Amino acid sequence: MSTQPSKNQENPLPLMKIFYGLTAAGFLIFITVALVGNPARAWQAYLLNFLFFSAIAQGAVLFSALMHTVKARWSGPLTDVAESFTAFFPVSLVLFVILFLGQQHIFPWLHEDLHGKEVWLNVPFMFGRDLFGLCLLYGLGLTFLYHRLYFTLKDRGASGPFGRWLLARWDQHPPDEKRLASRMTVFGILYLLAFALVLSLVGYDLVMATDPHWYSTLFGAYTFVKAVFIGFGALIVLSSILHLSSRNGYHVEKNQFHDIGKLFFAFCLVWADFFYAQFVVIWYGNIPEETAYVIERTMAAPWNVLAWTVFIGCFIAPFLILLNRRIKTMPRAMTVICLAVMAGIWLEHYLLLGPSFHHHAQYIPLGWVEAAVAVGFFGLLAAAVTIYFKQFPELLVSRQEQLID
Amino acid sequence: MPADTVSIMGIFSSEQRAALAIDGLRETPWIIEQVYSPIPSHAIEHALEPPKSRVGWFTLAGGIIGFFTGFFLAAFTSLRWSLIVGGKPVVALVPFFIVGFEFTILFAVLGNVLGLISQARLPRFETPAHYDERFSGDRFGVLACCSEDEQDELTRFFETNGAEIKTNDV
Repeated sequence: MSTQPSKNQENPLPLMKIFYGLTAAGFLIFITVALVGNPARAWQAYLLNFLFFSAIAQGAVLFSALMHTVKARWSGPLTDVAESFTAFFPVSLVLFVILFLGQQHIFPWLHEDLHGKEVWLNVPFMFGRDLFGLCLLYGLGLTFLYHRLYFTLKDRGASGPFGRWLLARWDQHPPDEKRLASRMTVFGILYLLAFALVLSLVGYDLVMATDPHWYSTLFGAYTFVKAVFIGFGALIVLSSILHLSSRNGYHVEKNQFHDIGKLFFAFCLVWADFFYAQFVVIWYGNIPEETAYVIERTMAAPWNVLAWTVFIGCFIAPFLILLNRRIKTMPRAMTVICLAVMAGIWLEHYLLLGPSFHHHAQYIPLGWVEAAVAVGFFGLLAAAVTIYFKQFPELLVSRQEQLID
Repeated sequence: MPADTVSIMGIFSSEQRAALAIDGLRETPWIIEQVYSPIPSHAIEHALEPPKSRVGWFTLAGGIIGFFTGFFLAAFTSLRWSLIVGGKPVVALVPFFIVGFEFTILFAVLGNVLGLISQARLPRFETPAHYDERFSGDRFGVLACCSEDEQDELTRFFETNGAEIKTNDV
């Protein structure tokens, strides 16, 4: 993720040191705040960033699974980058297990009378099913990647130790290619299905349930559409940076940027549509137990400011900007737009969670703790992706060069 | 068109040759008047480098008009019988926005079609004199005009590019 293109191939940027540094800084601040400062705030920031960064990785990998399921041929170099986000899956799973320690601070319903909902909403069952769901999702994602790598590495070779181990394994027991290809498609489809189901479950359990008396049947779908939205955004950012950096041969054609830009634009609309679809129904029904949640977040101070920021930053502004065709082919401009949208969705996560943790807030309690934990999580995600590319550096060689060889 | 110019039609059997001839013609002072193709061809489009299509502006205008039409249609019809239902305002923004959105799409599509028709100057009931029926079959046509004394030169140019020549006395 080097933002400064440099011709100096001999002296690579110490990316891993930077990312580990960010992770360590975020982790230290989290630990300090959790132990001596305000543990509730630290754990809530942890939950927010766990959801946000996991969704990025899950959504980006969805792109690859989707493209292979529909047998798309335009997206070659983009799927290679999308698959790199799989490296965050094991990290995300560990981070979820750690979340167990903070249960006192992130589940406001623990000490409430749930009027019968406790059958579903109790800590062991909730953690059990979410852990199972995430294991399933990540397992399917990694299995899909394993099949996918066979076809990529077979043509391109692998110089990293893990890549060599995989190649040696396939050399010893050459798999049946036809069967492998069809199994890849099956796992791709299963990943898509699991994505929708598991992200819905996570959305209901970890986000919606923080206000246990409110419910929205569309919340699950809204959660996974949002994950697709930011996953595609992250994919555009990463492939733009790799494309612009002169340290590797990675190259994305103009029309490929245009197409992924259009997809991103489309999901901007889908995201807004899912929000509006639920909003209209609640507005029409006008039932107090449904409207309270929406009124608190979108109409009452202080949260309404945040709601409008999110709506303008993630829908109105990108909608008007992305109508332009040329801007979608410019990687620099798209990086800025996607980063702004992702920042908006991060705030949107905060908007959903914040009011449940801070009742009767006078001001938006957003500050350096949330930002510091976000930096730590970003470091983890970036380090995972960098490790992936260090294992498979051939994926960053231009496909054009491959053809000439 | 001044009287001392002639139009010469080169008929090509391949898309590639037609595109090459267009490329060549653009470097000469001769003017390309018309190009016919039986298929939508990217090669010919790249060679011609036509100015940006204006159809998009029709779509945009249609969309904007449609939004306000839809919104005001909904508002107007509710105000005809301004009855408060379910405690909602008579002109309610939240649901009327949806009507506006649907009309945005409808009018944008209609604007697009109108834009296409007007920009392509359709319908045309008469085919021009130089038109050859094979342009709807398997041949590509490039019509260029030059001054009368350059006629032979342009004909040679077409022939070296592998074209069949058709001349019209305009």
